[in-house]
Amino acid sequence: MATAALVTWLLTATAGFIMLGQWVSRGGHRPGSGSRLSPGLVFSHFPLAAIGLVLWIIYVIQPSDTLAWIAFVVLLPVALLGFTMFARWLPTVRAGTGTPESRFPIAIVIGHGLLAATTLVLVLLTALSA
Amino acid sequence: MEARDQAKRPITRLAGPYGHPLHPALVVVPIGAWVASLVFDVASHLARSPGFLVEGSRWLIGIGVVGALVAAMIGFLDLLAIPTGTRAFRVALLHMSLNLAATATYAVSVAIREAPLDRPVAIGPLILSAAALAMVGVAGILGGQLVFRYGVRVADEFTQAEGYHTTTAKENA
Repeated sequence: MATAALVTWLLTATAGFIMLGQWVSRGGHRPGSGSRLSPGLVFSHFPLAAIGLVLWIIYVIQPSDTLAWIAFVVLLPVALLGFTMFARWLPTVRAGTGTPESRFPIAIVIGHGLLAATTLVLVLLTALSA
Repeated sequence: MEARDQAKRPITRLAGPYGHPLHPALVVVPIGAWVASLVFDVASHLARSPGFLVEGSRWLIGIGVVGALVAAMIGFLDLLAIPTGTRAFRVALLHMSLNLAATATYAVSVAIREAPLDRPVAIGPLILSAAALAMVGVAGILGGQLVFRYGVRVADEFTQAEGYHTTTAKENA
């Protein structure tokens, strides 16, 4: 289960990297870009998720109950920030606003969300069964 | 903004402020740990009781892998600062790919090490570690090229000139 969570986490991260790359290349991080995703949101979600992933890799190498729970707790604000960004992104797609995030491929956004939710559940199950 | 100037600016302060990038500071952890682990691997063939070297090498590889992932996270932010379609971006992609491949090779090298600590490190994992370190070396050359040739995340020349302003006796008074 821990390895499955690692795989879904890595896939989630890949989708996240694609979106971050597109957002930055369209200037989303610059003031006045018109992006509805503030740099504060993006650059809190990204490092927290990455730190969580590093903790999970350590857990897979050297399992410890405490580490599994820490990784789960780190994932909670990551998920909250992710949901917030998703809620702010949705109207830009409907309205076709032309903001840096409005042209994110829908499959990548949905895939990122579903894989992230799966990762969260797998991490919780791993921590509970530890 | 000119493409060259764009690569000098961080996309977020997480990557370190202008003229002071974090990535080059973080990479010393995996490089140091991995060089030391290879020294330990070789030394395990020379020492009379190699147990501490065999175990130490595993810890060093682990520290290196975790350090590399943290450095990669910040390095990725600098990659995004480079305009796509440029030579600098292609060099940066190759730099990243080589380092990620080296990290994965180290993970395999540590995974295939057998449990007994009373014998020197086997030739298989030792060769894997040496190959991974060679990859890190080549990636390091590319990283140097990005900084010293293409000036990625290096402050512009006007900012650099501040460090060469000589104060006269009158100004000091």
